[in-house]
Amino acid sequence: MDMKATKKKLGIKERYAHMTRGLGWEPTYQPADAVFPYDKYEGIKIHDWDKWVDPFRLTMDAYWKYQGEKDRKLYAVIDAFAQNNGHLNITDARYLSAIKLFWQGVSPLENYVVQGFARAGRHFRGEASRVACQMQAVDELRHYQTQAHSISNYNKYYNGFHSQRHMWDRVWYLSVPKSFGEDALTAGPFEFLIAISFSFEYVLTNLLFVPFMSGAAYNGDMSTVTFGFSAQSDESRHMTLGIEAIKFLLEQDPANVPIVQGWIDKWFWRGSKVLALVGMMMDYMLPKRVMSWKEAWEIYAEENGGALFRDLARYGIRPPKGWADACEAKDHISHQVWLLFYEYGGAAAFHTWSLTNEELDWLSAKYPDSFDKYYRPRLEFLRDKHARGERVYQSTLPTLCTTCQIPLCFTEPGDPTKISHRETVYEDEKYVFCSVHCQEIFCNEPEKFVQSWLPVNQIYQGNCFNPDVDPTAPDFDPLKAVLEYFKYNLGRDNGEFEGSEDQRNFAMWRGQASKN
Amino acid sequence: MAYELTIEPMGAKLEIEEGQTILDAALRAGIYIPNACGHGLCGTCKVQVLDGEIEHGQASSFALMDFERDEGMTLACCATLNSDVTIEAEIEEDADAEQIPVRDFPGTVSRIVDLTPTIKGVFIELDELIHFQAGQYIQFVVPGKGIERAFSLANPPSSTAREIEINVRIVAGGEGTTYIHNQLKVGDGVTVKGPYGRFFVHQSARKPLVFMAGGSGLSSPRSMILDLLNTDWSLPVILIYGHRNRAELYYHDEFVALAAKHQNFRYVPTLSDEPANSDWNGHRGYVHDAATATYPDGFVGNQAYLCGPPLMIDACINALMQGRLFEDDIYFEKFISAADAQQVRSPLFRKI
Repeated sequence: MDMKATKKKLGIKERYAHMTRGLGWEPTYQPADAVFPYDKYEGIKIHDWDKWVDPFRLTMDAYWKYQGEKDRKLYAVIDAFAQNNGHLNITDARYLSAIKLFWQGVSPLENYVVQGFARAGRHFRGEASRVACQMQAVDELRHYQTQAHSISNYNKYYNGFHSQRHMWDRVWYLSVPKSFGEDALTAGPFEFLIAISFSFEYVLTNLLFVPFMSGAAYNGDMSTVTFGFSAQSDESRHMTLGIEAIKFLLEQDPANVPIVQGWIDKWFWRGSKVLALVGMMMDYMLPKRVMSWKEAWEIYAEENGGALFRDLARYGIRPPKGWADACEAKDHISHQVWLLFYEYGGAAAFHTWSLTNEELDWLSAKYPDSFDKYYRPRLEFLRDKHARGERVYQSTLPTLCTTCQIPLCFTEPGDPTKISHRETVYEDEKYVFCSVHCQEIFCNEPEKFVQSWLPVNQIYQGNCFNPDVDPTAPDFDPLKAVLEYFKYNLGRDNGEFEGSEDQRNFAMWRGQASKN
Repeated sequence: MAYELTIEPMGAKLEIEEGQTILDAALRAGIYIPNACGHGLCGTCKVQVLDGEIEHGQASSFALMDFERDEGMTLACCATLNSDVTIEAEIEEDADAEQIPVRDFPGTVSRIVDLTPTIKGVFIELDELIHFQAGQYIQFVVPGKGIERAFSLANPPSSTAREIEINVRIVAGGEGTTYIHNQLKVGDGVTVKGPYGRFFVHQSARKPLVFMAGGSGLSSPRSMILDLLNTDWSLPVILIYGHRNRAELYYHDEFVALAAKHQNFRYVPTLSDEPANSDWNGHRGYVHDAATATYPDGFVGNQAYLCGPPLMIDACINALMQGRLFEDDIYFEKFISAADAQQVRSPLFRKI
């Protein structure tokens, strides 16, 4: 009788070796430098790619199994949410603005990160790093898709969720995350890794992902919160990749240390600017608040980031240059950005509103050093004007920072009453910045940043109108024409929340669901 | 009630309290299982249950999939035991680690020697020979007190004698060390438990070794160095050994003699608080200063073993890393206290 020989099952470590390093080969008919043309020009020196460590040891074959089951669970919840009118369980229709901001401004970034990791996964010489980057590329694609499906249910009922891809390439405030993503995508593969895997996924992700997902949990948005859970087990792998990447670069060669330091300085600052949008969302847009932006910054940036930079000091890395200024700004940025969006509320594809006294008191308590002195009086002034029927809308266009593309709304370090404004002349052209750090980023790479597509400048140059408009017509309204170019449904997507269609519909449908 | 947890592939056995998680028990025993979120959401600490019954606790259904539960996986940060359990974790098997079962060793105090004004050498003749790896420690059961104190073994394991040596610094207000200094006497019957710890020389890497010791942290390095010099270790060994002043510098003459006898052994003593006018002509300053001065071209290619007070360890790690020696080549015995567990730590380093 034949006895079947039982094959010994491979251990995780052996299987990982076969499915990563075991997949590589030495090129023969082309030199390695021609196969991998982009992993040297940034000046990063790698002596031994085998020192790359991936503690998860996840391989592609296992990967599909995990993501398949996650998707099955998530889509069961999304279906239940849709069938049971889950959108009526959110705390308040104002919460929709937070989800609109996420969908318009954060989800497309996932798509950019897909491209970036796919490219890094092609161009690194080490097989383990290539596999890790490829898996993250697929993860991010899945995140974009699952966000689309989690949030799409809202698009059936509410305004502002349509035309995301169209708006991303045109709308003024979306150029902030867009230009951030494009800066990373067009950098070399190592800079991309430090920008996204380390500075963003590791240092700042808790200030982006966690506030939106906790916000969803606090405000009854089961669909988005389940997406969050399904993504979190990927996020931990992404954070680990960031940590391993920076250790690997710093240990491989001492010449890498100053290069990496420069990237940390740049990308920490760029990330902290993008997060100003999240700060506004946390402090102003969540009907049921999770914590203040300042508290989130203190825990995730100052405490956790502080511990990280204490450890990184051993490699000769110091905290990012903009660290002190970013920490000081925790008392101000959420208020400054909300005031900006309130006043430009006619040009945003989500709603803004006046806060209740109770909400103002909450902010006074959370921001004892800044809110009552600098922001509450302005918010009350605007609320009074609105009550008198004089809702404030700015109609002149603001100056944008050439680097972060945020309108100049932030104040000088040490003086919250003075707008921070810097200028640099490069090849006879004047460029404007919101801060000394954004100015420095420009000055380090002027040839890159002179190409910035700044929406306000483009509008003034006449590049943001639909092809059929006639600017010479007597009734030509340039602002309206720009918003039509953005594909806004005017009066429904934008403007004041009070009296909006979203507010009316939510109240009516909830009333139908809970009364006879 | 307590259960026994066995961690493969190394076969470490530890006692685990009811309700204590696998991760907590492993970390407290000095066994690093990769982990991140600590509450069942990220899946970093996934382990395979080989035998026994566990509870998955708060493990998220997205971090620990149904098919993984069916395959016997669990998350160490949430899992608790319902019986004795064996798990397999993603732990690098260490070619130099020996798995030596922990036992009780009764014995008799044979000698007590004043090594310095604050440190006593306590010698205990055990009833049976204890097998251990140089660098490991024992728990000394303080007679009549119901408490145990950990001390590194200062003698080399290569000796065939049943006598072990521990070096005990008196800790102000310390119950255990005060007893040992003031009441313990030759002839007393005592019990030690051990051997414990995963601090030993990784000889298979075949790298030159630098030992950095301070305060009463000399015990482990002394045991390790005597063991190496007793065997056929031929690569360079350097001991950088610091104290406040000459009176505290114990076993100095022994190391001077060893350096004279062994060509591959170099001894660098340093004093941080020696009177300026004394006849000391060795290095002055802290251990990490002496190390940096001893290795002007950095530490690349070496392996470092550290033993001493936390501040010294920290300063030495900084000096080593600035000299471009990284985590993979730095070893020290880590005792995780309750205070450490509270501290915010970044996940940058796994073991240092």
